[in-house]
Amino acid sequence: MSLWVDKYRPRSLDELHYHPELSSRLRSLAASGDFPHILFYGPSGAGKKTRIMATLRELYGPGVEKLRIDQRVFVTPSNRKLDVNVVQSNYHIELTPSDVGMYDRVVIQDILKEIAQTQQVDLNAKQRFKVVIINEADALTRDAQAALRRTMEKYMNNMRLILCANSTSKIIAPIRSRCLLVRVAAPTDDEMTKVLQHVAKKERFQLPSTATKSILSTSQGNLRKALLVFEAMKMQKPDLTGDIEVAKPDWETYCSKIADSIIQEQSAQRLLDVRAKIYELLSHCIPPTVVLKTISDRIVDKVDDALKPQIIHWAAYYELRMRMGSKKIFHIEAFIAKVMTVYKQFNMIGYTEDYE
Amino acid sequence: MPASTPKSSGKKADSEEYSPKKSQEKKKVVKKETKPAGGDIRGFGAPKSAASTSTAGNGSGRKPITIDDSDEEEEEIIERKPTPKAAASKNASTSSSKKPIVVDLSDSDPPTPSKLASSKTAAPPKAKPPTPKAKPAANPSSKRKVQIDSEEEEEEIEDIKPAKKRQSIGTGMSRSSGKKPSYVDDSDSEEEKPKSKSASKAKPQAKKEKSASPMSVDDSEDSDEDDFIDDDDEVKPKKGKAQPKAKVVPPKKAAPAKKPPPAAKPAKKEIVEEKEVKTEEKKPANNNWRAAAAARAAGPKNPGSKEVPEGAPDCLAGLTFVFTGELESLGREEATELVKRLSGKVTTSPSGKTSFVVVGEGAGASKLKTIADKKIPTLTEDEFFEFIRSREGGKLDEKTLKARQAEEKKIQQQAMEMEKREKELEKERKRKEKALEGTGIAAKKAAPLSSQLWTTKYAPQNLKEICGNKAPVERLGTWLQDWQKNYKSGFKKPGKDGSGIYRAVLISGPPGIGKTTSAHLMAKEAGYNPIELNASDARSKKLVENYTNIDNTSLDGFFQGNGVQSTSVAGVHVDSRTCLIMDEVDGMSAGDRGGVGALNVLIKKTRIPMILICNDRSLQKMKPLQSTTFNMTFRRPTPPEIRSRIMSILFKEKLKIPANVVDELVKGVNSDIRQVLNMLSTFKLSKDQMDFDEGKELLKVNEKNTIMTPFTITDKLTGPYAFSKTSRETLNDRIELYFHDFSFVPLFIQEHYLKTQPALTNNLNGAEQNLKHLELVSKAADSISDGDLVDRMIHGSEQHWSLLPFHAVQSTVKPASLIYGAGRNTGGGGWGGPVFPQWLGQNSKQGKLQRQLTDIQIRMRLKVSGGRSEIREQYMPLLASKVVLPLVQRGSDALDETIEYMDEYYLGKDDWDALVELGVDTMAEALITKKIPTATKSAFTRQYNKTDHPIAFHKGDMFAASKKKIADMGPAPDNEDVFEEDEAVPDEVSDKGEADDDDEANDVTKDKLIKAVKPKGTTAAKGKTKAKK
Repeated sequence: MSLWVDKYRPRSLDELHYHPELSSRLRSLAASGDFPHILFYGPSGAGKKTRIMATLRELYGPGVEKLRIDQRVFVTPSNRKLDVNVVQSNYHIELTPSDVGMYDRVVIQDILKEIAQTQQVDLNAKQRFKVVIINEADALTRDAQAALRRTMEKYMNNMRLILCANSTSKIIAPIRSRCLLVRVAAPTDDEMTKVLQHVAKKERFQLPSTATKSILSTSQGNLRKALLVFEAMKMQKPDLTGDIEVAKPDWETYCSKIADSIIQEQSAQRLLDVRAKIYELLSHCIPPTVVLKTISDRIVDKVDDALKPQIIHWAAYYELRMRMGSKKIFHIEAFIAKVMTVYKQFNMIGYTEDYE
Repeated sequence: MPASTPKSSGKKADSEEYSPKKSQEKKKVVKKETKPAGGDIRGFGAPKSAASTSTAGNGSGRKPITIDDSDEEEEEIIERKPTPKAAASKNASTSSSKKPIVVDLSDSDPPTPSKLASSKTAAPPKAKPPTPKAKPAANPSSKRKVQIDSEEEEEEIEDIKPAKKRQSIGTGMSRSSGKKPSYVDDSDSEEEKPKSKSASKAKPQAKKEKSASPMSVDDSEDSDEDDFIDDDDEVKPKKGKAQPKAKVVPPKKAAPAKKPPPAAKPAKKEIVEEKEVKTEEKKPANNNWRAAAAARAAGPKNPGSKEVPEGAPDCLAGLTFVFTGELESLGREEATELVKRLSGKVTTSPSGKTSFVVVGEGAGASKLKTIADKKIPTLTEDEFFEFIRSREGGKLDEKTLKARQAEEKKIQQQAMEMEKREKELEKERKRKEKALEGTGIAAKKAAPLSSQLWTTKYAPQNLKEICGNKAPVERLGTWLQDWQKNYKSGFKKPGKDGSGIYRAVLISGPPGIGKTTSAHLMAKEAGYNPIELNASDARSKKLVENYTNIDNTSLDGFFQGNGVQSTSVAGVHVDSRTCLIMDEVDGMSAGDRGGVGALNVLIKKTRIPMILICNDRSLQKMKPLQSTTFNMTFRRPTPPEIRSRIMSILFKEKLKIPANVVDELVKGVNSDIRQVLNMLSTFKLSKDQMDFDEGKELLKVNEKNTIMTPFTITDKLTGPYAFSKTSRETLNDRIELYFHDFSFVPLFIQEHYLKTQPALTNNLNGAEQNLKHLELVSKAADSISDGDLVDRMIHGSEQHWSLLPFHAVQSTVKPASLIYGAGRNTGGGGWGGPVFPQWLGQNSKQGKLQRQLTDIQIRMRLKVSGGRSEIREQYMPLLASKVVLPLVQRGSDALDETIEYMDEYYLGKDDWDALVELGVDTMAEALITKKIPTATKSAFTRQYNKTDHPIAFHKGDMFAASKKKIADMGPAPDNEDVFEEDEAVPDEVSDKGEADDDDEANDVTKDKLIKAVKPKGTTAAKGKTKAKK
């Protein structure tokens, strides 16, 4: 009894519902025997990992789906013990080095190299090489990426890398040039509808178009989200008719509450209250960028047109700083203080200083 | 008039005194207009808007003077309003009519437009008759104002100078006539009203009246004037700041030479007048006042621009001052110090006893109200200086004088007592020496008193001599006295203060306040023979047991000889009249293993009273003693409590230090008597008198190496006057504060910066103030954000540690400079000072939840493709509605379904808890757990434990966890706990549950993903058995 997203996940390249040309290219790559390093990139929920697994199945056969999880312990130079979770089958290994934050370089240097240096043991394997999947490759630090460069070339015989990222912008050029870039675009609305219909058919019920529409609008090209919302909706209202208010996730409602309270009153005291709420979001593992984005989206929705560009400008400005800095809340707070000031100025004087 | 020369010279002196000030003020005005915002660091937060207002607000430097008796004079206001503007050319009469509000000599004198020193002959045309006399009268009149309450009294007392008095009233009238009503009585003011209405006409009359009356006492006046001139002479040297007390006159001459053109004067007068009018206007035209205040704030005020008068010693004795708002040239601390130096008192809030309130800009509204209510006279800074300058030293009212005399007497008496005792001791010593001389026994020579430390020499010898803490000391005495009685009754009767049920007391308090001394003294007083064991004695468990073998249950002493009845502690025989003093109990550490535990056991069965002494009762180590000892806290004595004792010691040692300096010293070392004595005894080596500044210096030397806590630093950096124009601290001083603790201070500032009411917004109100506040906060937040970027460069891979000072500025100093101000009530019961930064706690909480989320993610990974953030953001809401909400809505019915889902995703019970913990808003943990009935929860746990579950993998730390359990079972054998009867009973039930759980977990063999984990159960079991032992 698993969730629909996982229940109806396609397992092979043939089962994929969209991007057929990409599927056929992957199939031919797998068949060619000359499988390159690949960098999959695309927005979240577009089907990157599903395609990676399907490709692996194409390469090695169904044995690749027998996953097991292992935990490796390694010691940082500063003598801290860190655990890295490794998901592996007989033919491939999956790492998420960004789990250990700034120590990801050690993961690449120690674990990845160790894997790369050993040969494929299974004589029945279809391929001579193993595949290492690196998740969240765009969250790798610069050092870690640099550590990856040489490994990629030197151990090409033993191993192929598959990197999985949301965007290539944070991946250094040397790595990009060593990989085949594969973009997995978010599905279009039609494609998503197709998938949703497919799931509905399997679950044996009719999906009204109004429901589809509201699902599509909330999920914004994220198929995973769409399917989860779909199921939530079905739970909420089994016949799926009429106007269905899609239940927002807890953190999103919380963010909009914060945004509302910012609009409602601008003062140091309010900022202090907001700070407490933001702390709560951050400590509950909502990524700071998501917090900033959600709040600013919500504010932009509510303020006067004249202010919108300015708020977007400041959101971008502080997001950049947040990425450069280390204590995220300082920057979010600065953003909110700025928005409050700008908003108040605008309300009192009718214009604001030029923000350029 | 015979005394014309002295008079005029006095006048000259006066006019010279005033002219510098005027010119400075003039300068200030000019500067205000030219320089919009401060160029220095203090000004970097200077508001642009304020600058613009300054130009708008006619830059006249209006001063918010606060006394206001406007009720009586409201009618006058109307007529007066126009005057100030036209007053530039006006003469004494008009300006003097304005005086009612202020005790202001500087204002009363400008009437004589004798700008230059040489113009003494060119007396003002209109004011001619009164001026000559008015000048000398200034002093007495001011004095009179001061002592208004005791006015009549004083008149009687001072029959020596009746003439002067009379005259001062007389001549002073022209100036003070209006002044008086403000605090003396209303009748005067009513009389005054008509006069002031027809100001120019009435004035001369008034003057004539006044000048007429004193005529009769003219002869005596001469002598008085001599006095005044003397005063002036004294005042003169004081003006040159650098000069000490030496009576050097010349520098004063130089001062006027520097003075700017006389033209400055009328302008100044105008300012003064406007200022006065302002005061009256204040209530009706509040906005105007605000604007004026803003104008004032805009210009940089020159700290130290005014000459700080030195004042005659003790000239402020018996007076109590309150400072409010921000003074122009003096910082708050400096002002306080100034008053204290002159033996005055400074309190923080005005009350009936306050003699004067010195009002600066931006004074709090509530304070002003109190001042008005209580009719406390106010001074501006200039007036305050003038007041000091003009006041004669050592003039005390009777009460203070008497009190002081009494104190002196007491001091002398005490000193005499000491001397007597000393002599006796000396005699005793000599006698002993003599007696032993012949015997040939190498006598244990007592050191002669002169070679003893002051702290020993002057240790209190009886109850009376103990400084402070009277109540606890007395209680200690009664406890000791009742001890035998309580012992007989088995410590069952609590007695009056509840101390009767304890066999021991625990005295706690900071060092140097006489804990040990009191304990010894009281023990002796109660007829006990004190034995002291302190940190210099080894006090391990064994030693405590053996040496303090009071119950004599061992044969130790028996075999050592000496007899059976008594044992000895530290070489002293223990009998029923012995009292054990355990000093520095909190110092029982590393070397004294089990010491506290052994002590506690000893306390439980002791047959003699025990006094335990420590500094910090709240230490973990002292916990066992909490329940067995009567707790007695000693506080730091207040300076007055210590003063007389110190003074008598000083008297005895022939060290001349005035009382106010002693107070300052005592305060400076936090009432640590021992330290004061040590400091003084060292000081005695080089000098035999000390003045205020030397005292300060001595303190500075002695407190140099204190490290401030981030709390104090934050307070210091963001206090209401931290960055005010009068603050003397440089940028480097502030950076230095950051370096006291550079990892914490920025966090404290970040925590704190939203919790102040910035001083920079004080000039505004309403919405404008809010906006300004927000702007400041935003700027501060930007700066903190910058600071974080710098921090990243320091702590990141680049390690640019040389940027630390820059980080100090960005993360600490700059934000503080923007938002400094009084603490704001942020909800939750008032302002309690800086709080510990939340960031640390929140960050570690985030780390913990992040780990849990990673755990969940990796378990779900076998089914799910998403990463951590996707799990949290997208899966969790739905997953929660599948595995958490059903329990809320349907209770136990939903259990099977829930567990099925969890199994599907390899989630365990721990993960379920983590899942709940990760929720926010409507899914917040607190809410959800409240909604799930306890029955359901326990049913859930039971149900879950009953069945087998697939496990995705085994974590590396699972074994570590079982090891940890062992550690938790029973604390590692520790001697301290051996004595505790209540040994930890291992929780059998939960043990079994866990063991079952483990076994079940291990039974899951059908899942091929699972590796063999057999060893785990056995190790855990083994560990447990071991622990149980």
